[in-house]
Amino acid sequence: MNLFTYQLKQAFLSLKKKPGFVFSVVSTMGITLGALLCVLTLAYLLLIEPLPYPEQDRLFVAEHQIVGEEKEDQGKSFSYPGLVDLYKSKAAFEQAAMMTYGQGVIISHNSQPLVNTAYVTSELHQVLASPMALGRMFESSEAINTNNPVAMLSYHTWQHNFNGSADILEQKINLSGVSYRIVGVLAKHFVEPALSEIGRETQVWLPWDYNQEGEWRRQNFGEVSDNLMFIGLLKIGVNSLQAQQLLTPLVNERWQEGVADDDFFKGWSVDIRVRPVKDVMLGQSESIAVILLAGVIFLVLIACANISNLFMSRTVEKQRQMAINAAIGATQKHLFKAMLAETSLLMFMSIILALVIAKSGFYLMQQYLETILPRVNELTLNPITFGCAALITLIFALFFAKLSTRMINYHALNSTLQSSGKGSGLQVSKKTRQVLIASQVALATVLVFANFGLLKGAVKSINAPIGFVTENISTLTLNFSSTDFPSHAESVQIMAEIMEKLSALPQVESIAQGSSPLSGFYVRALINIDNNERSTPYSKGVDHRYFSLIEQQVLQGDNFTNVGRRDGANVIIVNQTFAKQLKANGDVLGMQLSTGSPDPLKIIGIVKDITIASDSYTGFDNTFLSSGVPRVYLPNGLGGRSFMLKLKSGQSVSRQQLGKLLAEVDTRYSVFSFNSANDLLTKSLFTEITTAVTTAALAFITFFLAGIGLYGILSYSTQMRRLELGTRMAVGAKRLDLILLIIKDNVKPIIAGVLFSLVILLSVYFFFSVELSTYITLQLAPLFVATLLLISTLSLLACYLPLRRFINSPAISNLQGSE
Amino acid sequence: MSTAILLLKNIGKIFETEELETHALKSINLTVNKGDYVSISGPSGCGKSTLLSIMGLLDVSSSGEYFIEGVNVTDLSLDQAAEVRNAKIGFIFQSFNLIDELSVFDNVALPLRYHADKPNNATIKKRVIECLEKVGLSHRISHKPNQLSGGQQQRVAIARALVANPAVLLVDEPTGNLDSKSADQVMDVLDQLNKAGTTICMVTHDPRYADMARTKVQLLDGAILQAPVAKMVG
Repeated sequence: MNLFTYQLKQAFLSLKKKPGFVFSVVSTMGITLGALLCVLTLAYLLLIEPLPYPEQDRLFVAEHQIVGEEKEDQGKSFSYPGLVDLYKSKAAFEQAAMMTYGQGVIISHNSQPLVNTAYVTSELHQVLASPMALGRMFESSEAINTNNPVAMLSYHTWQHNFNGSADILEQKINLSGVSYRIVGVLAKHFVEPALSEIGRETQVWLPWDYNQEGEWRRQNFGEVSDNLMFIGLLKIGVNSLQAQQLLTPLVNERWQEGVADDDFFKGWSVDIRVRPVKDVMLGQSESIAVILLAGVIFLVLIACANISNLFMSRTVEKQRQMAINAAIGATQKHLFKAMLAETSLLMFMSIILALVIAKSGFYLMQQYLETILPRVNELTLNPITFGCAALITLIFALFFAKLSTRMINYHALNSTLQSSGKGSGLQVSKKTRQVLIASQVALATVLVFANFGLLKGAVKSINAPIGFVTENISTLTLNFSSTDFPSHAESVQIMAEIMEKLSALPQVESIAQGSSPLSGFYVRALINIDNNERSTPYSKGVDHRYFSLIEQQVLQGDNFTNVGRRDGANVIIVNQTFAKQLKANGDVLGMQLSTGSPDPLKIIGIVKDITIASDSYTGFDNTFLSSGVPRVYLPNGLGGRSFMLKLKSGQSVSRQQLGKLLAEVDTRYSVFSFNSANDLLTKSLFTEITTAVTTAALAFITFFLAGIGLYGILSYSTQMRRLELGTRMAVGAKRLDLILLIIKDNVKPIIAGVLFSLVILLSVYFFFSVELSTYITLQLAPLFVATLLLISTLSLLACYLPLRRFINSPAISNLQGSE
Repeated sequence: MSTAILLLKNIGKIFETEELETHALKSINLTVNKGDYVSISGPSGCGKSTLLSIMGLLDVSSSGEYFIEGVNVTDLSLDQAAEVRNAKIGFIFQSFNLIDELSVFDNVALPLRYHADKPNNATIKKRVIECLEKVGLSHRISHKPNQLSGGQQQRVAIARALVANPAVLLVDEPTGNLDSKSADQVMDVLDQLNKAGTTICMVTHDPRYADMARTKVQLLDGAILQAPVAKMVG
């Protein structure tokens, strides 16, 4: 057995006797290194790893940027005819594709699942070189205007909805009344380019010809949508700037012709912006990755400082053993190797835990952050993760071993033996120890307080009044599964019958036609006829029962009437914010707003504002409106396919029950979605809930790390005073005397740490008062006091716990330095 | 008639590890009377220091009974033992065990800070100066231990042991860390203290100093080799 193997064995046996120490080191380093590995892998994926497309360097997206009169950006949205024109022009791109997203119910499937669809031209999968598990990708036989109803499934859909059936090809699926023949299944490792929404997985790919845009939109240049995309391979030798310069005049000219009759767009123009697919897919996530990486490195440094304290304490314990080794001929190098054996074992255990935590982290990110961070579905323990893990293990093992051996004054070790273990071969002064304690307390106070502050903000947002009720309310949206479209009059009649049947259900208290206030808003362009000012509030179609069903207060004027809805009355209801935006005093009843059509809309009512957490409304002048979101409500048509059901308390209705009810009225209708408003509300609060959970977890981890750090340094400090404690015990000190002594001696650095944290927080507030005004208010004072109490309690516990074993054993064991 | 300050009846001490039991002391019977000067000697590992630790309530015996001034102190709690140590026992260690951060004054005053009577500062000061005068170090009152020689440090330790007026001084190898001149000075101080009525029980392996005691106890393998031999005082 060579010396290092022997030392590893000895280290193992020695650590076996110190489960508390092992637990502290392994848990602290395991958790923080787990987070580091997780973020390192993510950062590699986002910052370095190329997209999994062979021609990713030439893969670009063209964006249709609408520019206002003052050359300000007015949004990135294509018009349908504009997109098709660009696609047909073939300019700048060697090969290009159009795509748009949708949803549909596979009515031919037993469980009638609602699936995400994408309507694409045949070039898309060719430019992506999508790998196939079965069959083929779309070809020229599915090119634009061929109307060939074929479909491709995602691997997951094939496995999940079709049990991985080997003879899936050539089977037919019916979506929204169209029967599609399955021609291919994408490979498991195919990565969809997330151009519109991070984390959205297309389950069924369909040819462009079958997209869900209505005829009006297909023809109208003024109807723009952010659900129309253009992606392609730039020609070799053409860069994005050249492509922009080439495409902008072409597209702008055509768009100007298209909107020439619309006053709203007067003076506006279009710029084509050509961006790499990687930029579009990653968005702001590269900076998120850098911030996350910086944060987690900071966390690792804190953990490292804390664990250094524990190793200092451990070195004190091992001082005598090292002195004996030195006395019998061990050199400094031998002592270093012995320490390295121990740190290597500990770091090995830590990194195993870290890998488990990283793997769990990947899972959690894939479950909860797939809609926030791109490419998280590609996260896996890969050679980069393992390489980093091995490197980290080596670096930290060497670092802690070096740190521990640097503490030892090799030449003074001999005196340790001469004074029966009572002398000191260690070199950390009392002042250094006090500085370490103060810095631990300061850091812990700042971090715990910061996390508590964020947590409080997130909880406040979660609990903020929303201005309407969601309790017992569900939204039902119908799916139409036929090409045999009813006339408007027929639709109205069918919907009336469906509503009657729904109202008759014993579980239903009331019903309204329209979707939940948590969805269905879209931006609408309006012009104030009085002063020709343009505005773009959120708009939604509602019926005359909507406001009373969700208990949203009508503050002034009238509600819609059923007769008005039927007759298509040109009326509109606005919210408080929009009323004040139109007229400072909010007195807007009777005011007329133009939509561009000949008949203006008359404001007949003003309703109270509602607050939806997921709103990130940017006003007409591109400024974020924190005070409220302007909204308008228009009477919806009687043929709408969405309903809100208010159920009686404690009652529920199943999707199957609703499906049966619909089939009784008209078999062409089925359930598209049936969601409780509470669930939608929870979804809309996703960011706040994630923030709350993350900050609570971080506060806990910070507190845990602070505890470990304080325990380490105070334990070390107390061990250094073991002989003194024994002497005091010998002359009659009781346990309480010693506890008070240690607390009294440590209270000074603890108070210094608290004061230091106060200085840090005040400095941050002073220098960043504008940026932090939302987060730091006087209301946080009690929270700061609570943080101080928590950290003080932790500090006192950290004083007591290491002392406990000394004061609860006979004085002689402290005097002799034995266990 | 002599008064027993310390009375040990069948005291035994076993050190246990996972693998073995070591009988450090076997059925020790010993009486230390008021004014006695007892030396405990014997070869290395015979249990001298263990016996002194038990006598000083620094450690607990595994068997037997122990009385200090007639009070059974065998099964005291840690805090009760601390109280008895403070009031009845003065310790002098081989390596002095002075606290480096404290001045000579504060080191000597330490037992009074833990005393049940909570003496005031004036009393403490008076008592500390008295004790330092006894050992000839009242002029070093503000010094730190590391500013003193080994012999002076041991005399400070003696002053500390005396400050609470203990019933007995327990002395563990007082000259072990000293040169012969300092050792003689320390032993002189102890001798004078005993002559002034202080009861002393001292562990030493130096036969010359053991002979200075009036009663000599010889230990071998954890047992008293023969009945304590009292030296005739002329």
